[in-house]
Amino acid sequence: MKNKNKKGLYLPVDAKINDVIDLTPDVKLYKLRKPQSFFYSPGQFVMASIWGAGEVPISITSTSEIHQDIELCIRKAGFVTSALHRLNPGDSIGIRGPLGNRFPFEDAYGKDVLFIAGGIGIAPLRSLINLVIEKRKNFGKIALIYGSKTPTEVLFMPETQNWKENGIDLTLTIDVECKEWECSFGLVTEHINRQSISFESGYAFICGPHVMINAAMHDLSLLGMPAENIITTIEAHMKCGVGKCGHCYSDGRYVCTDGPVFSYAEIREFGMASP
Amino acid sequence: MKDEFVLSKTNLPYWLRQLRKKADLIGPLRSLNGDIIFSSIVNIHEMILDCPASIPSPKEFLFPQKEEMYKFSQKGVNTLNDNGKRIIFGVRSCDISAIALLDRFYGGLLEDDFYMSRRRNTCFISIACNNPDPTCFCSGLGTGPALKTGFDLQFTDLGDRYLVQAGSREGLRMINGFMHLFLLPEKADRDDQYEVLLSSQSIFEKRITLENVRQKILAGKVPDSFWESVASRCFECGGCVYECPLCTCFNVIDWKEKDNKGTRMRLWDTCMFKGFTKMAGNVLPAGKKIMRTKRWYFHKLLYYPEQFGRFGCVGCGRCTITCPGRIDIATIANKLD
Repeated sequence: MKNKNKKGLYLPVDAKINDVIDLTPDVKLYKLRKPQSFFYSPGQFVMASIWGAGEVPISITSTSEIHQDIELCIRKAGFVTSALHRLNPGDSIGIRGPLGNRFPFEDAYGKDVLFIAGGIGIAPLRSLINLVIEKRKNFGKIALIYGSKTPTEVLFMPETQNWKENGIDLTLTIDVECKEWECSFGLVTEHINRQSISFESGYAFICGPHVMINAAMHDLSLLGMPAENIITTIEAHMKCGVGKCGHCYSDGRYVCTDGPVFSYAEIREFGMASP
Repeated sequence: MKDEFVLSKTNLPYWLRQLRKKADLIGPLRSLNGDIIFSSIVNIHEMILDCPASIPSPKEFLFPQKEEMYKFSQKGVNTLNDNGKRIIFGVRSCDISAIALLDRFYGGLLEDDFYMSRRRNTCFISIACNNPDPTCFCSGLGTGPALKTGFDLQFTDLGDRYLVQAGSREGLRMINGFMHLFLLPEKADRDDQYEVLLSSQSIFEKRITLENVRQKILAGKVPDSFWESVASRCFECGGCVYECPLCTCFNVIDWKEKDNKGTRMRLWDTCMFKGFTKMAGNVLPAGKKIMRTKRWYFHKLLYYPEQFGRFGCVGCGRCTITCPGRIDIATIANKLD
């Protein structure tokens, strides 16, 4: 990852918002015009910036091979994301990136792949899921367990059906039973051992809340999946995204430059995702 | 050795006055409350060269406590790089060693343009320590009391004169225009320098080997109960981080004025504060005090050596002076060694 931006390490470039889609009451999908020479891979993120509000790390949810725009899936959670939610098509967001490492999906060629997403954790995985579908013949069985709290919080509902048609074994689940939901119930971890993939040789890509990530990684390793094959992407408080500000530092590693994608083996070694 | 000179103490003020014409001259002064601070020099005779460690360290001239990065308005964004020329005189060897490591941290592939533009315009003139403080332990780390590289010029006080060593082209340039003030060193000067450095070595009160501590931690011989007791004495004041010449963490904030005008700036931040790692949804990866104290010590004692081959400590002793809970690096190292 070289510093291509000769103007400065911390200077964002303006990206025009082409479209804004309301996914749920508090999550919006932003489609941004791609700046020149912006090449990214699944798992990478950008620092999204609004002058006067601040900067936040947001993972890229689009796939460069498929989507024209850069797509960011943003939940209104704090000061900067609230300011982002006030923007409309035609406005601009400052972005710096792409930053961080990417999912090592080539390692999973010829193997089964299990995706586990919780809530907005589907956003970084969506980038990879779409790429895996694009390269479908390179992989074995593909399964996705996607858990949400309530039916209204399910993101990319039409797209998940599209994935299902493309041969993904889809388990949509919500935490608590309710009438208007036709798919599964319960936490994502309750559905892991029902998957028909090979745990011993397969790969898992996980993203969601810290608690869910920890539980899912633990369960998968108990089912016999090697710790190197259990891959997750973790979030951290960041101010710079380039390994200088120290906020995402944990046991000798920076989430921004050494991550955000880590294997279970690395996470155990470096004590990340511990809360 | 052609890059060594002798400067009589009577010639020092004149030489510094000449240098000051081209750059801001900064040196150690005694502040009103008694601390030593680095500040712009108005009267050269007020500089205190045989002084205890400055609080804070001179890192603030490369990485200021509050640094304005960008000015933004509806018209656009301006980058506020500081290109002011500075000569910092009277810096200690430990601080020069720290700056050499900071150069590697902020430089490299992802170069911090704010740090580097200051760095390129700053010359450092160091003074070998003839009288180390009781809190100093640089001799055990190879970061003092005198250095072989890293400085632009290094002065050694020989009583009535200084032995001056040039360590860079910028250093030589500061001497070149004023060769009539400098003499070439003779055998007596070198003998005096040897004697001064030797006696300085024997003044050190603390003998600390951080390598032993590192090995003990790596071998798993330091139980969590030890770090628990360290954490219980931590006041979370952040003093160690602010005074440390090698602590680099910062926070970025946007200061908004009227009409969408404002400034994006960065401020020193400290990993000892609970909210340092706070994420959306109030998740705190380092929520317990023991996690934060361990993180600070492990970063300096284990991960700096892993990343840079040097300890994240130069033995300046500032945390020993500052820490109200007496859990500074020297005390911890003494307990573990």
